[in-house]
Amino acid sequence: MNMYRSKDNLQKDMELADFADRLLSGGGEIPASTSDEELLGLEKTLLHLKESFPSQPIDEKKANRMLAQIKSRARREEPVRKSFFQRLFDLQSNSQIGLLVAVAAVVVLVIVGLPAPQTSTPPLSGTAFSGSTLVPVLGVMAVLFVLYWISRRK
Amino acid sequence: MTTNYMQNHSTLPQDASDEFLIQQFKDGRNEAFDLLYHKYLPKVYNRVRYVVPESDVEDVTQEIFIAALKSLPSFRGDSKFGTWLRTLTNHKVAEFYRRRSRKQEPHTAPLSEALARAEGETSAGLEDRVFLQRTLQNLPENYREILLLRFAEDMQFNEIAEHTNQNLEAVKSLFRRAVAALRNNLEK
Repeated sequence: MNMYRSKDNLQKDMELADFADRLLSGGGEIPASTSDEELLGLEKTLLHLKESFPSQPIDEKKANRMLAQIKSRARREEPVRKSFFQRLFDLQSNSQIGLLVAVAAVVVLVIVGLPAPQTSTPPLSGTAFSGSTLVPVLGVMAVLFVLYWISRRK
Repeated sequence: MTTNYMQNHSTLPQDASDEFLIQQFKDGRNEAFDLLYHKYLPKVYNRVRYVVPESDVEDVTQEIFIAALKSLPSFRGDSKFGTWLRTLTNHKVAEFYRRRSRKQEPHTAPLSEALARAEGETSAGLEDRVFLQRTLQNLPENYREILLLRFAEDMQFNEIAEHTNQNLEAVKSLFRRAVAALRNNLEK
């Protein structure tokens, strides 16, 4: 029984595929040849599909106009190239480098701010933060500020 | 299906393979993209036409090629370019329907008589086509795919079998089941 059914299905598969081939090659007619109601319904569905989307070749003018629009839109949507400093300080997309710069700045500040090693000259009393230490700290801060300012301007 | 406007690009061979053209594009020869575009436009456009309302076909097609243009530099060639572009097309069509259902744009709501008249078609005919497009789009992917390959891309059954790594009988069986599913959904 199953064998007959599967043979029947196979036959229907072939017939419907042949019908589709005939239909798409331009030779499709209203199917009345088959007495099988199921197959007839399927053939009508294919006819409906074919009739709903008649062949519509795209002409050269339209194709070229679309290509020009595609290129123009692609150019417009292209991301603006950022400068090195902008990329460096763009913490949202480059958080690791941003963090690295921040840590480096803190380390530099800490090193520079450490008390200088004892020299032969005894320190003067009341000079916990001497002028000679303050200058490099301010220098580093100024450089960082300038870098940030440049990155904001570009 | 390639057309005579490919003759404009004389610096690259007309019969160049997709792989060659992609490599040329990666090497900075932008005209290689033009050749790929003209080669695949009819298939992409026709596929989109089967599943997207007429008024949006051009826009969706353009979005597909913009995405292709942007992604081509990173195309590794793991699959054929045609297959890659087909996948991209399906993604863009799905995106179109997602966006549309989110926005509920007024112009995409039931079709106006004016649009129907402009295209010389009755609004009933146009609505019938839109219903067919939606039904096709809502079919299970393997059913939709085989119908589009045969009808929209005009691939022969043996080519589909080769493309999908299936035997011819399996492909024809899948085709009949797909048509049956389409018919059932249209009658619902």
